[in-house]
Amino acid sequence: MTNSIVSTGMQTSAQGDGNDPQGPQVRTARGQNPVLRALEVIGKGFRTVWEVPKARFGLILLALIVLSTLFAPWLSPYDPKAGDFEASIGPSAQHWLGTTSNGQDVLSQLLWGGRVSVMVAMVSGLLSTCIAVLVGLSWGYIRSFAGEFVGFIVNLFLVIPSLPLMIIIAAYLQNGGMSVIILVIVLTGWAWGSRVLRSQTQSLRSRDFVTAAAFSGDSSWRIIFHEIFPNMLSLIINNFFGAATSGALSEAGLEFLGLGDSTTVSWGTMLYWAQNNNVILTGQWALLLAPGLMVALLAVSMTFINFGVDRLSNPRLREGKA
Amino acid sequence: MKGRHVRYFFGKIGLFFVTLWAAITVNFILPRMMPGSPADAAIAKLSQNGPVTPEVRASIEAQLGMPKGNLLSQYWQYLGDVVHLNFGVSYSNFPQNVSDLVGAALPWTLTLVGLVTIISFIIGTALGALMAWKRGTAVDVTGTISSSFLSAFPSFWLALMLLFFLGYKAGIFPTSGAYSSTAIPNFSMDFISDAVEHSILPALTILLTSLGSYVMGMRNTMINTLGDDYVTFAEANGLRQRTVMLKYAARNALLPNLTSFGLVLGGVVGGSLLVEQVFNYPGVGLLLYQAVTNQDYPLMQAIFLMITISVLVANFIVDILYGVLDPRTRR
Amino acid sequence: MMELLRVENLSVEYDSPDQEPVKAVEDVSFSLDQGEFVGLVGESGSGKSTLGFAVTRLSKPPARISKGRVLFGGKDITTLSQEELRRQRCGGFAMVLQSGMNALNPVRTVRKHFVDIYKAHGNVEKKDYEAHSRQLVEKVGLQDSVLNAYPGELSGGMRQRVSISLALALEPKLMVFDEPTTALDVLVQHEVMGTIRELQKQEGFTAILISHDLGVVLESTQRVLVMHNGRIVEDAPSERILTDPQDDYTKMLLSHYGDPRAEHVSVPGLKPRDEAAASGSVGGTPSQADDEEDMTVTVTGVSKIYPARKRGEDSVTAVNNVTFTLSPGQSLALVGASGSGKSTIAKMLTGVERPTSGNITLGGRRVDQMKRRKDLRSLRSDIQMIFQDPYSALNPLHTVEYTLTRPILNYTDLRGDDARRRMLELLDTVGLTPVEQYAAKLPHQLSGGQRQRVVIARALASNPHVLVADEPVSMLDMTLRAGILALLDDLRVRLNVSMLYITHDLLSARLITDSIMVLNKGTVVERGQTAQVLQHPENDYTIKLLDAIPSLRTQA
Repeated sequence: MTNSIVSTGMQTSAQGDGNDPQGPQVRTARGQNPVLRALEVIGKGFRTVWEVPKARFGLILLALIVLSTLFAPWLSPYDPKAGDFEASIGPSAQHWLGTTSNGQDVLSQLLWGGRVSVMVAMVSGLLSTCIAVLVGLSWGYIRSFAGEFVGFIVNLFLVIPSLPLMIIIAAYLQNGGMSVIILVIVLTGWAWGSRVLRSQTQSLRSRDFVTAAAFSGDSSWRIIFHEIFPNMLSLIINNFFGAATSGALSEAGLEFLGLGDSTTVSWGTMLYWAQNNNVILTGQWALLLAPGLMVALLAVSMTFINFGVDRLSNPRLREGKA
Repeated sequence: MKGRHVRYFFGKIGLFFVTLWAAITVNFILPRMMPGSPADAAIAKLSQNGPVTPEVRASIEAQLGMPKGNLLSQYWQYLGDVVHLNFGVSYSNFPQNVSDLVGAALPWTLTLVGLVTIISFIIGTALGALMAWKRGTAVDVTGTISSSFLSAFPSFWLALMLLFFLGYKAGIFPTSGAYSSTAIPNFSMDFISDAVEHSILPALTILLTSLGSYVMGMRNTMINTLGDDYVTFAEANGLRQRTVMLKYAARNALLPNLTSFGLVLGGVVGGSLLVEQVFNYPGVGLLLYQAVTNQDYPLMQAIFLMITISVLVANFIVDILYGVLDPRTRR
Repeated sequence: MMELLRVENLSVEYDSPDQEPVKAVEDVSFSLDQGEFVGLVGESGSGKSTLGFAVTRLSKPPARISKGRVLFGGKDITTLSQEELRRQRCGGFAMVLQSGMNALNPVRTVRKHFVDIYKAHGNVEKKDYEAHSRQLVEKVGLQDSVLNAYPGELSGGMRQRVSISLALALEPKLMVFDEPTTALDVLVQHEVMGTIRELQKQEGFTAILISHDLGVVLESTQRVLVMHNGRIVEDAPSERILTDPQDDYTKMLLSHYGDPRAEHVSVPGLKPRDEAAASGSVGGTPSQADDEEDMTVTVTGVSKIYPARKRGEDSVTAVNNVTFTLSPGQSLALVGASGSGKSTIAKMLTGVERPTSGNITLGGRRVDQMKRRKDLRSLRSDIQMIFQDPYSALNPLHTVEYTLTRPILNYTDLRGDDARRRMLELLDTVGLTPVEQYAAKLPHQLSGGQRQRVVIARALASNPHVLVADEPVSMLDMTLRAGILALLDDLRVRLNVSMLYITHDLLSARLITDSIMVLNKGTVVERGQTAQVLQHPENDYTIKLLDAIPSLRTQA
């Protein structure tokens, strides 16, 4: 009978444990459907990112770039490869950005060329993030000699300068096209993310809720993907945009050196041909300026989005008055 | 306490040599993983210039791989060649030795990239610290936005722009090479000032494209250290603002930034290779470009190895510096 | 007496970008006379630290003084410019921070910290730097060799002493101590508080001691300000707070204190223990369990030695030859300072770590030899753990329902609606009603006490026979502790589980356990019935632990 007194006592004290910080209007229905809840979390994250003005600028810029390349067939005035026009003319009403020395329309090339650059950036960003997640999570979770070994390999990839490595691999695989470019970018681009994600994994795995999940009978596999992984999502997104940015820059660099397939139209190959045809001497600045500027804008948009994503993961970086 | 400090440095030295060995081995494995036979291609190209001596053939095969040969003996020969800087003969610059070519180009790159990187790190760190200290003000906002833009620029594109506008249009700076074609390389004042004039545009490009990451790196770490308790306590003790900013917040933010300096370095070196190509600057970047376009594999491999070793050495120096700057490594 | 500090209608707000500013301190007024030692007491979120920072003008955004004045020596310091304020700090007001661990610059030696202060204020001539610093560190009970040390080479207690001596270098009239000992180990806490009291008497500065612990404050100060929800609800001499508290909140706070050495101890919400009937043996030899289920835990001669981390360092003996039994329904307290090995014992019992020697059995199974996942899993359906930090023990992204459903699915045959019913039943058991509402919540929507209840519910999901509770209330406010302790005690009796209660807090051990073991550096130094041991301790270490507890008597 003493028990019952204690339990009523403690039940009232549970109510008095502190005010519900979110107020009483907690929805029960939404909390139960995992899909809805995931959407809710994503929506909330997106709102947080969107609220940062720099990130908003980045998102709009990225959307514009992606849309303009998607709609290239409708937007571009001419066939990008058809050299039907007078060669090497400056900007005019017919050719807003002039023509190449092969008589192709620069604006059309710019719109079509974006497809390759955006695609390479996204795919290489995605693939290197996947590798980074796999390596980072397992490297952070295992505590053994294998971990030390993985660490050494990752550090080796971090210190070996990536662009020269890309250049020589691409040189061996002459004209392998897009897939080779993506391959070398991914091969040299995963290490940084692995390192970041590994240290986050280590700090998360020392948290009590991870131990508690093991006590709840969950398997290591489930703990990694249900307890640790979701808590690293903002870092992973951050890593994706970072990897995609360097992917875009590397791709442009490799193609500029003529290491891609120089017959496709992309921002990098446009610069390659511009350089090879000495447009610097002919003074066609638009041909030089435009493709590089597009690469820069693509990189800028993703860098700026990351300002918002940072806010999700590092509270001290939250924008605020000093 | 002393012993622990010494242990830190010995540990770093050990790690350096192991990493060096691993990098040299990667350089050995790489061509062997490639389709076709790079060695045969290289020897075939060389033989167009005349008979290939057995020694040259051996060193090329040790470097690039011989499909049927004994891997271990090739590896031994390769290690020996690396130690003696014996990388065979260049095909694209026949009949010069690869090591002579790389040896001639390396000082240009090391001086240019080395100096600019150090300057860039110093300026970037100072700017980043200032921005973090004045967080949220116009200085910070402008700094953040412009460094984000700068680090998003492809280095070679910025090089082309500077070359076009400042070199050709405005005609302020020389447009090609490391010195005037009439000048003879020596250590006279005339030659040095000529060389400096030629290096301004490439240096500016490397500076601008590498600055952003140092600025943002320092800004972000210093915002973190500014929130640390020792900064609050220093303020509570009424220390001078300058002391708090420099000796407390910035000094501690410098350490992680130094580590990232080493890691960013590889990227900076990569970017400067492309810059050299644009400005026709006679460093390893231009040489690598020529090697790649001519498929001069021995030269390519040797350059890659040299660049990697340079970056490793730089990282090693950074590690040592870190050990000097952080008393915690003494524990 | 001369008035030193007068706070008039002070309010501090926290700006938030999209919401109304939050008032942390509201319309607070009080004044301090020179040489007074005043305590500022409140629970977490009461605004006591915010007030301390405002009084010393250290508030940083988003905190902002929105109203009122702080008169220091008759001068309003809320309107001073940064530079005026900086100069004012010498011979003015100093602050010692809560986390003294991190209050020192890791890359500067202690000596340089002193020199920085002297240089900033010019209050000491250059030739006297050394002598002055030596004198100060000796005052706080340190040897002058610490001047050469980097902060990382000092222990937590030493670092906090260095912070105090640095604050003294300012020759302040007012010292604010913000939870100066909270981050330290129990015994060290006691010593550092002793130093602070002595210094205050010796130097005669005015002092404010901010603390969540009414006991510590009453022991040291002459006057107490009680803070609750941003307001000062009571301001009275310590004596009167103890004998004749006026405010209900103060009364409530006081009621949660007790002296574990007393003959009868009780706090509200917890039934007084029937100590005469305390059962269970903690003899040195494992007793034969006569329980039909045989869920007795026996620990025999267990040691745990951690190998040296680096060459040249010694290996660490965390646990040394410990033997005890825990029979069904028994509650056993394991007490000791941090580093005494109590958490290591918990880890070995639950199969997280394996002992170096000795054996551990649960119902005939050898816990110390378990390797396979299957064995560990079956072990953990019988033995569960309650964690110390409720903020870290719940995944912030999972709802309460998810968290509680996992062990149900893993350890029982319940599925679908049955599992859900069981989940709700567990919430009811731990007193989180209405259950449907709590099931849908995420951790950040719960208070610390509510979270800890969820943690307990999760531990119960597998119907365990043994609960290992590792400091389950140490992160909670005093007034919330009783509720959790009552719950644990009630569950133990009702579900007939045995409980190993790990703590450094002897009062809570007295309240909910029958037997006790005192651990010092991995060795059991005293054991017996809790009430007996705490009232009549025999071992020196136990006596030291008991002496470190502030008794609710004022110093006057």
